Amino acid sequence: MTELQSVSDKLDNKSEDKLALKDNDKVICNNAADEYFMGIKEDLNQAERLVSDAVNNLVINFRYISKLTESHHEMVLAIERMTAPEASSSINELLEKQMVIANQIEQELEMVITSLQFGDLVAQLLAHTTRQVEMLNVELQRIDRQGAWQGETERKALDSIHSGISKAVEVVKNKSKKKPVVQQGMQMGDVELF
Amino acid sequence: MAKTILAVDDSASIRQMVTFTLKGAGYEVIEAVDGQDAFDKASHHQINLILTDINMPRMDGLKLLELLRKLAQYKNTPILILTTESGDEIKAKGRAAGATGWLVKPFDPKRLLEVIGKVIG
Repeated sequence: MTELQSVSDKLDNKSEDKLALKDNDKVICNNAADEYFMGIKEDLNQAERLVSDAVNNLVINFRYISKLTESHHEMVLAIERMTAPEASSSINELLEKQMVIANQIEQELEMVITSLQFGDLVAQLLAHTTRQVEMLNVELQRIDRQGAWQGETERKALDSIHSGISKAVEVVKNKSKKKPVVQQGMQMGDVELF
Repeated sequence: MAKTILAVDDSASIRQMVTFTLKGAGYEVIEAVDGQDAFDKASHHQINLILTDINMPRMDGLKLLELLRKLAQYKNTPILILTTESGDEIKAKGRAAGATGWLVKPFDPKRLLEVIGKVIG
């Protein structure tokens, strides 16, 4: 009896150890995964804030430059009107050059309007990536709770953890929406009238 | 009298760029932050053209398009989609829902004004 009791006690201790190990693994996996994904999500949020900030500032600058350009253009026209007909050809030439520069500035500002839209594209990509990360985390937690690793030994427990993570990645890939932004650069987009 | 355009996008910077471009060309512009906001504003104003994004919270652009086409006032109003999406499937959905045209971001201000000029003058 004593020997049996001893063996039984040993088995009980081993089971407790395994349970503790399993629970420890669970806790370690959950906390580690949680922290990891929270970190990624915070990085993505930060990137979004930086982009938003930069774009806001650029838009303010752009509008101010645009107003200044408009004022400058109006001044040049006013000078042209005030200039006497017999004004020297060099003055007229200078005024012509001013008008050319004003037109060039206007064209450059139009290109800026296209470039400034990068903020929207980046924001959408970041939101998409954040969703991907969140979905993966949720799946990992779910697999943890289901206790995918009911194995008797530590090796089986670890195999099950790996299997669980692989399953989670597969599920997330199948559930993911199509990436909303495929542009590689800021060339103007196509226009199609139906 | 200046024509009125409803510019719908959840991105503030896109709305600003669109408004700047259109106002510079002499159009009146009303901004909306998503499909629901756009539908509410369209119901209370006389809009000559709607320019809308697709991916927006609360109500997306395709849903907005469907609802507007059901209103007698907007049955034939030009509705242009301005979006990052360019796939054939989504374009077909837009066309089936009643979109007048499809513009891919980033837009070029001159081309935007050309297209709008073509559809509403």
